[in-house]
Parts: sequence; structure tokens; C-alpha cells
Amino acid sequence: MKNYALIIGIVIIIMLSCIAIFAPLLSPYDPAAINQDSLLLSPSSQHPLGTDSLGRDLLSRIIYGARISLSVGLVAVGIATLIGLLVGSLSGFYVGLLDLILMRLVDVMLCFPTFYLILAVTAIAGPSVFNIMLIIGLTSWMGVARLVRAEILSLKEREFIQAAQAIGATHSRIILRHHIPNALTPVLVNATLGVSAAILIESGLSFLGLGVQPPTASWGNILIESKSTLGVAWWITVFPGLSILITILGFNMLAEGLKKEIG
Amino acid sequence: MDSLLSIKNLKVGFSQEEKTVEVVRGVNLDIGHNESLVLAGESGSGKSIMSLAITKILPANARIIAGEVYFGGKDLLKLDEEALVDIRGSSIAYIFQEPSSFLNPVYTIGSQISEAIMLHQHKSREGAGFAALELLQQVRIDDSERIFRSYPHQLSGGMNQRAFIAMSLACKPKLLIADEPTTSLDVTIEVEILQLLMQLKMELGFSLLFITHNLSIAKRIADRVSIMHQGKIVEEGSCAEIFSSPKHFHTKELIQAYEKIGRL
Repeated sequence: MKNYALIIGIVIIIMLSCIAIFAPLLSPYDPAAINQDSLLLSPSSQHPLGTDSLGRDLLSRIIYGARISLSVGLVAVGIATLIGLLVGSLSGFYVGLLDLILMRLVDVMLCFPTFYLILAVTAIAGPSVFNIMLIIGLTSWMGVARLVRAEILSLKEREFIQAAQAIGATHSRIILRHHIPNALTPVLVNATLGVSAAILIESGLSFLGLGVQPPTASWGNILIESKSTLGVAWWITVFPGLSILITILGFNMLAEGLKKEIG
Repeated sequence: MDSLLSIKNLKVGFSQEEKTVEVVRGVNLDIGHNESLVLAGESGSGKSIMSLAITKILPANARIIAGEVYFGGKDLLKLDEEALVDIRGSSIAYIFQEPSSFLNPVYTIGSQISEAIMLHQHKSREGAGFAALELLQQVRIDDSERIFRSYPHQLSGGMNQRAFIAMSLACKPKLLIADEPTTSLDVTIEVEILQLLMQLKMELGFSLLFITHNLSIAKRIADRVSIMHQGKIVEEGSCAEIFSSPKHFHTKELIQAYEKIGRL
């Protein structure tokens, strides 16, 4: 049977990436340009997705929002995956005291309700796009660490690891060149799911006003601005919501498809 | 006696909770320069573990209890990991039983041999690749360029074993430890690999410690034979001595088994 989930996921993500990369070319208006003559216009040929309460073109804002969401998702997951690989491989390779300490650290981190931790930290450190990437990354590496550790524990019993030892490879070389490349499959699937989780967290934070700050457009902060005008302008709520939905769907389908393909 | 490797009273055990089960129980073994020694014994006699203990690449739950392993005037068991890393692969190399699973599935044959070269010699990636290609030709692989670019799963067991031998010999070791390298191969390939090993031994001049349970191999390649039984060397002698006048009952058992197969 064909792997439809993988194909649909890839198509959605390629489209989103193109939208994000070519945002200046694709958006019909300046996303931050306020226009007093076009407040709260419903979707029309001039403004395909309508305008918001400050007269800004919603389509342009959503296109630029894609940049924020995707970059937050990818960078945060990049940070989380790197930390997870490091902690997981050390923990799996050097069983014993180090493993014990690192895994208890993972347990402690998992005990925190992550979203409130992120809220607290952004409240202190200040809400910038970079801070948000960093904080999401620093609070979501535990799953990766556990995955990598489990993979390495089973890889250690494999013969080619012994062979690498026999040709005189050092510990760091065995970890980097022989363990990690062989442990990447589940990490890849996990990272794909992680991107959608990070995008959701960013939207949630922006919705609460602790995420990306206006006038920079993000899907989350378009949503919060739409709250006050929900009764008269449905489009400001529906379209950014749909964007988030499609993006999450895309990454989840990609993850599902990858799992089927390589798992 | 002037020997290349000298093992004295080596004891290796597996820890199980509180207890330690000894599987190598005081082995003494000498391997001379340029000698081929066959270490024969039934499965579970401790011969593989003994060979891994020489450079301390034992599984995590095994540990060396006592003994000395002299190589080049030094006791290998007293060296730290850093010094051992230098010796593994460059002075003492291994080949193993199941070549396909002893090669890393995510790299090509070429890059794995290059890695082995770069670990011990100062060569650029390109220079190492070139040397790797030469090694593949040296182990009598005809279309070495295709094999160089292939992944282990694309090749047969015999081809993988040749590639693995090339990798092990990359740094011209003084001692090659072959742990049942032909057991998983079919008989015609087995003969080819044995011939290859003996030819390479002549060309390169290394000593060979060949571990097997198959005495017919011993007859073909051994200068000397040691018989291992339940963690101890029970009999030792030249190939002719062992076959003409076996003393220990286990040696007789092994010879009988071999002769039975011969009669079939």
C-alpha cells in the first residue's frame, strides 16, 4: 500500500516552507501596514482573507506568521534534539553513576508542567522569538534523551560496535560515528512530532501575550487580536486557526509516514 | 622462548549479581612470531572470551580476574584505555564470525576501511580511500571499486568477510586474532577465505591466532594447536602431534567428531 500519510505530510511541509521562504514575494501587502480605510473588511478579491481591526491584510500577516512558526518549531526541536542526543548517548554508553544522575535529571524535568515552566521563564527572561526557541528547546529534550539511551543500550550489544572497538576506535568516536547514526531513526520521527508540539506551544504563548510580540505577526498573536472582534469578523479567528491546524497535521502525518516507512 | 604474545594464568569471569562465574580459568598461551596457532575447543569453552580479553574488549558484564598478557614487552592488562586504543587495530587486529553484522550498516565498505586506516595513520580522507581500495585488491576482490561504494547489506557473507579482513589488516598488525571467521560461511567460501588468510600471512608476515571448533581447519593451517576445554588449555602441541597421538579425552572427542564427518 502506498504511504499516503508520508506523501501528504511532505507536500504540506514543502508548501509551508516555500510560503515561509518566499514570504516577501507572496504576500500582497506589507503585513504591518496599518490602513484606516480598510478596517475589518471581510474576504474579497482585494483582501483574499480579509483585514483586521487595524486594517492590515490578514493573508500577508498569516504568510509572515508562517516564518515565525516554522523557525520556532525547527530551531526549538534542533536544540532539544542536540541536548537529547548528548544526554542520551552519554547515559546509554557510560552506564553506572553518570547514567543514574542523568536519568534522574530527566525524571525531574519531566515532573515539571512544561507549559507553566515556560510561562514563568518567559515572564522573567522577556518574550522574544529567540528566547522562546531556546526555552522550548531546553524543556523538551527529555523524550529524545530517553529514546537515544534505549537505542544505544541495545546497539551496544551489536557486533559492529565490538568491531569498532577492535580496530581501535576511541569512546567518543564509537559514540559519534557508530552509535548515533544508528540511533537516529526513532529520533527523526520524534523530532518531526516535536516540531508540531513546539509550534503549538509558541501559538499558545503568543495567544497569552508572552510569545512573539506585536507588530511581528505570529499565528498565535493574530488569534489573540481576533478575540475582541470575534463577533463581527470571523475570518480573523478562522484563518490563523486553520493555518495552525494544517501545519500540525502536516508534521504529524510526516511523522506517521516516516514511522511506517523506516520503523 | 621468544614469543610475540604471552598469556600467563589469565582468568576471566562473568559477574552475575553477587557471584562471579569463571569462564577462563588460568590460561597460559604463547604465540611466536609469524606462527599460526589454532585454538580449538567446543562452544562455551571460553576461547572467544579469552581472545577478547587480550585487548580488553570484553562485554560489559565480563571482567578480568587475574593474569598477565605480555605483548611487545608490556602487560596489556595493566595499560589504560588510551594506550590500548593505540594497540587495537594497529598491532593486534581481529576478524570475527559473522562479517555482515560486524560491519556498520550505515557506512559503505570503503568508508569503514578508510576509518580504520585514519585511526592509526596520519592520512587524509582521500589518501585513506586510496589505501582502502588497494587493500580491497589485496584481499583478492576483483571489482574493488564497486565493493568500495557498497553497503554491507548489498554484499554476500564471503565478500563482507574479505572486506573485513582488509579492514583488519589496514594497519599491518603483528597479530591477527581470527574468531571463527569461516563458521557462518558455506564450505567453498570457507576454503577460499582460509587460503586468502594463509596467503596474506605469507605476504605480510603476521602471527595468526585462529579460533575454531573445527579441527579440519587446524589440520589445514596450524603450525601448533592448543585445545581448550572448560576454560583451560588441556593439550598443546604441533599439528602432527595432536592428530597422531592425542592425549586428553577432549582432544580425542574433537578428532573423532571430525573423522566422523570425514567418513560421511
